Amino acid sequence: MFYRRWLYHFIRRPAVSPYPFRPDPAALARPGQIVTTTRQFGRSLAVRHVDGGSSNGCESELALLGSPVYDWSRFGFGFTPSPRHADLLLVTGIITEAMVPHIRETYDAMPEPKLVVAVGGCAGGEPGYFAGLPGVVGDLGEVVPVAARIPGCPPSPNDILAVLLAVVEAPAARRAGGRLP
Amino acid sequence: MNDPSPIAAVSKPDALRSAITDARARGDAILDIYRTDRDLRAAILKPGERTVYEPKLGSGPFIRPSHYGVLGFFALEVDDARADWWASEYPVDRVSGRGIHVMPLGPVRADVAESLRYVLTVFGDDIHHVRLVPGYKHRHVEAAIVRQGVRRAIRVAERVTGTSPVAHAWAYAMAVEEALHISVPVAALRERTCLAELERLMSHLGDLAVLAASTGTVTAAADLLTLKEMVLRFNQAAFGHRYLRDRLEVGGGSPRQVEKQALLSFVAEVEREFRQVRRALDRTNSFLDRLHGAGKLPTGDPLGLRLTGFVGKSSGHASDLRWDRTYGTYGDLTQDLNPVHVDAPDAFGRYLVRAEEIRQSLTILKRLEGLPPEEPVPGREGRFGSGVGFGLVEAPRGRLFYRVAVRGMDVTAVRIATPSSLNWPAVPVALAAHNILQDFPIIDASFSLSVAGLDL
Ligand code: SF4
Repeated sequence: MFYRRWLYHFIRRPAVSPYPFRPDPAALARPGQIVTTTRQFGRSLAVRHVDGGSSNGCESELALLGSPVYDWSRFGFGFTPSPRHADLLLVTGIITEAMVPHIRETYDAMPEPKLVVAVGGCAGGEPGYFAGLPGVVGDLGEVVPVAARIPGCPPSPNDILAVLLAVVEAPAARRAGGRLP
Repeated sequence: MNDPSPIAAVSKPDALRSAITDARARGDAILDIYRTDRDLRAAILKPGERTVYEPKLGSGPFIRPSHYGVLGFFALEVDDARADWWASEYPVDRVSGRGIHVMPLGPVRADVAESLRYVLTVFGDDIHHVRLVPGYKHRHVEAAIVRQGVRRAIRVAERVTGTSPVAHAWAYAMAVEEALHISVPVAALRERTCLAELERLMSHLGDLAVLAASTGTVTAAADLLTLKEMVLRFNQAAFGHRYLRDRLEVGGGSPRQVEKQALLSFVAEVEREFRQVRRALDRTNSFLDRLHGAGKLPTGDPLGLRLTGFVGKSSGHASDLRWDRTYGTYGDLTQDLNPVHVDAPDAFGRYLVRAEEIRQSLTILKRLEGLPPEEPVPGREGRFGSGVGFGLVEAPRGRLFYRVAVRGMDVTAVRIATPSSLNWPAVPVALAAHNILQDFPIIDASFSLSVAGLDL
């Protein structure tokens, strides 16, 4: 019996584990049945970070967000170890072609609603000295929909925090256009 | 980007080799050969042109895991960014046996981490074998430097590794100055020394914060991060950039004088705060117990790794270019100091070396202000001729080497050997030395190497 199950799982290896990514449309069709709010993101925001080919300057600044000086947890932000729990994806670095599928995969694994923020000039479409090099995409917007870009090389934790707050508080319609901040 | 003339569609290393030979015969420079997710490519630079173009060399069914069900089982290792092209040339060693399984980790990892894949072979909790798969962040830094002119390329060098821009810029400048016989005024050398020590301070404090966090000592991590932020703010106030970029110039530029009193009071404050953190850490058993014996490297270097920086200094390779070559103004500053040397090739030794080096950097910064004022000697502009120069600088993570070939106003070739690329080979050795998976973050943090410096 063991081997029948084993064979079954071997053949039917699911690509990703099934998970209710989107809100149930049936539940949404019944107003009043579920609690709704205009705010899509509440008081706690799980953040995931992917390095798309950075110089690690941006990472150094991201690591400072959790320090007592900036303490982003007072706004409810925090890094999550799994994309399944993530509301927001931070991507740093010029986007290398080798990282494109991994960024996409991380994005796909995140449940709706979700946001992507490009950190640093590199990811924000100004790869500067690295523009046009082989294997460099240079703009995160070509890979996943981007809600906001944080310019700077590297942007200071203050800038990052300001943009993150603006993105989270903004109405969904403005956010969708990627015109933030 | 100019018209890419495809070399040939090939899928085997043999065909690739002949295609590259043809390109060489035409006089094109092959900067790099690499693979993307879909195909093999070469980065080629035609002589006299600044643009790099990239013919596709071939495409094949590069299967990626988890998309192909059963096939994914066999293709687990095929996902590697460059590995399977290398694999046919250099066979990858594997461990197999009953109860052993492979645990791929990365390139996307938890928290804030750079993209690198660890292929861990584990038996239960024990780590038996580790293979590193770089290539995800390959940005063609050397090609990016070659595209710029001699003076502007220093800005690219600053972006090779974001946390040690001064070391890279200095090594690049040193190489160009040697190639073109430019002499640098003493004031500029002093500024560089000051920047380099501030950078070492910032880098070590950040590294130790990650190390403390990996052992769960969050209070110390918070203190160290606060100290790092203090250094970054001082950098911003004194030199106009948190990471000290855009200051160094080939030939010296216009050095900025730091206000003596501001620097001294800053150094005193960091010294006082750091002493407190250090004392607390040295008394925290839960921190020390996790470090002792974790990630132990074999003594005597039987593998010939020639480690550098704090990894080397804790495992019997005590060499420091600040003493060995006394470049910049280090000759006067380091006379009666000795390079830090600790006899403990484990995570604890690597912690100790950096804690001592922070103290040493603070001392050097204090002495820098005490140096007698120098006669303003203008630097000598060399001829813009051609030549080859070497730059050797002690970066926060160890020995950094630049070789730059210059012709006129152009950089014609550059080779970079970063301390991270020298030390990364030791990480698998240290990880697979009787450690368990729970030690992985600690050992990883105790090396604090940059992936950006490995995947140039
Ligand atoms: S924006 Fe600057 S600091 Fe950030 S990854 Fe790019 S080069 Fe590095």
